[in-house]
Amino acid sequence: MKFREWAKTLLFYEIALGMKATLSHLLHYKPITLQYPHEKKQLPSNYRGMLALLRYDDGTEKCVGCDLCEAACPSRVIRVVSAEVPGEPTKRYSKEYYMDMTRCLFCGLCVKACPVDALGMTQEYEWAVYDKRQLHLNKEQLLAIGDRNFPVREKRLEFQHPNVAYFNVGFKEIPQKEL
Amino acid sequence: MDTGIRLALTLSQIGVVMVAVLLTVAALTLLERKVLGWMQDRMGPMEVGPYGILQPVADGLKLFFKEDIIPAGANKFMFSMAPVLSLVPALIGFAVIPFGPDWTVDVGGVNFKPFVITDINVGILYILAFASIGAYGIILGGWSSNSKYSLLGGLRSAAQLISYELNVGLSIVGVLLLSSSLSLVTITNAQAGGFWNWYFFGGGGFPQAVAFIVFIISAVAETNRTPFDLPEAESELVAGFFTEYSGMRFAFFFLAEYGNMILVSCVATVLFFGGWHAPFEFLQGPESIHWVTGIFWFAFKVSSFLFLFFWLRATLPRLRYDQLMRFGWKVLLPIALANIVLTSIVAFLFPGS
Repeated sequence: MKFREWAKTLLFYEIALGMKATLSHLLHYKPITLQYPHEKKQLPSNYRGMLALLRYDDGTEKCVGCDLCEAACPSRVIRVVSAEVPGEPTKRYSKEYYMDMTRCLFCGLCVKACPVDALGMTQEYEWAVYDKRQLHLNKEQLLAIGDRNFPVREKRLEFQHPNVAYFNVGFKEIPQKEL
Repeated sequence: MDTGIRLALTLSQIGVVMVAVLLTVAALTLLERKVLGWMQDRMGPMEVGPYGILQPVADGLKLFFKEDIIPAGANKFMFSMAPVLSLVPALIGFAVIPFGPDWTVDVGGVNFKPFVITDINVGILYILAFASIGAYGIILGGWSSNSKYSLLGGLRSAAQLISYELNVGLSIVGVLLLSSSLSLVTITNAQAGGFWNWYFFGGGGFPQAVAFIVFIISAVAETNRTPFDLPEAESELVAGFFTEYSGMRFAFFFLAEYGNMILVSCVATVLFFGGWHAPFEFLQGPESIHWVTGIFWFAFKVSSFLFLFFWLRATLPRLRYDQLMRFGWKVLLPIALANIVLTSIVAFLFPGS
């Protein structure tokens, strides 16, 4: 046993083993590198990326200004200023809607909290900017993100389900009608 | 007239060799990163040019236009001298390396050897002497930067270079005994005829394989390459002796390191692997094309050694400092001495075999 160990040391057996390993990696060259800006990773379908405000298919905003997203947000990203729709005292909308994306941790709780599915999470993640004030987004910017990421829009709730009241009831809470 | 022709010939020869060496250095900087990447399942540089082949150009341009910073409190004279002191010895050693057949051409009444710049009779001593001067560049660079990391790197390299230079010197004594010459041209010519005449495989009567292993380990240590890169240990000393250097001065150290690598590979080729001689006589071709095949085989052997350097770097982690010293003095030195004793006995008992 002693002799074997001596022989191994003298013949650089361990070093030769290591060098064999590196050489085999060179000969069976299969890089795991993803050449990032040129090729991009396939994202999972439930990827939680940039937040967006959504619209109905007639172009009206889904948001009813209920502030539940603001309440649900753990890092106080969202600020909503709610107001009555002019001329329609029964309806409300968000007059101003701000998101400070420097603080967002992409937990998705606001999306869960929204009763009318007005918020969505996109697959966008390339949001590096030189000035972090550019990450303080207003309503128009959030709607624009939604427009470019969700081309297929839902109908208004009252047209989807003529027998339910038309706002403040989430689509997901309504029992689905068998077609 | 003769002096003028000789001067022109020698200068052009020096120019050709320098350009070749510097181009090889440029290629090496890319190849090292590529080979290292391939061995570690990466791709290496890919952005500049197709498959990153223009990376050395980009690196060179970047270093050339970078700001040249001299730290406050640095010894300015030493600080600017040190990179030159380490670059010049790395390049000057190529003057005695024979990279092709030992021809003598008559150009206008001047005897001219086209494939070696100068064949001096103490060629190998000359290379060793200049390698020791290269150590001064590293030590002075580390000392004059007025930085603790640089100083520690310089001190480490001082100790390391002194102990491993000794082993380089002793490991080649066997070859010098067998060839009874210090001239690299004579040593190369003694290994003609086939690979069994190379000193590694037992040309001259006693195989110098053990001496070669001692030589190549010490050579890796002397060029500050992994696993002996203690003077520039990134994880401990930022960058060791050139921590404070930037721009062209840094480039000089960089060139010196790669130049030393090529020089050491050339010396290993010449001393142990027959220089420009092919492993079999028929691979050398007829006498008239010896210069093509000679340069090819020389380049082939040198590039194999350079690949070995990369391969070692991809495989081995860095040694601890006391391990390095113990290995140099307690293992390599006795082996080199024993090789000298055995070789001298063989050379005495069977002279001229």
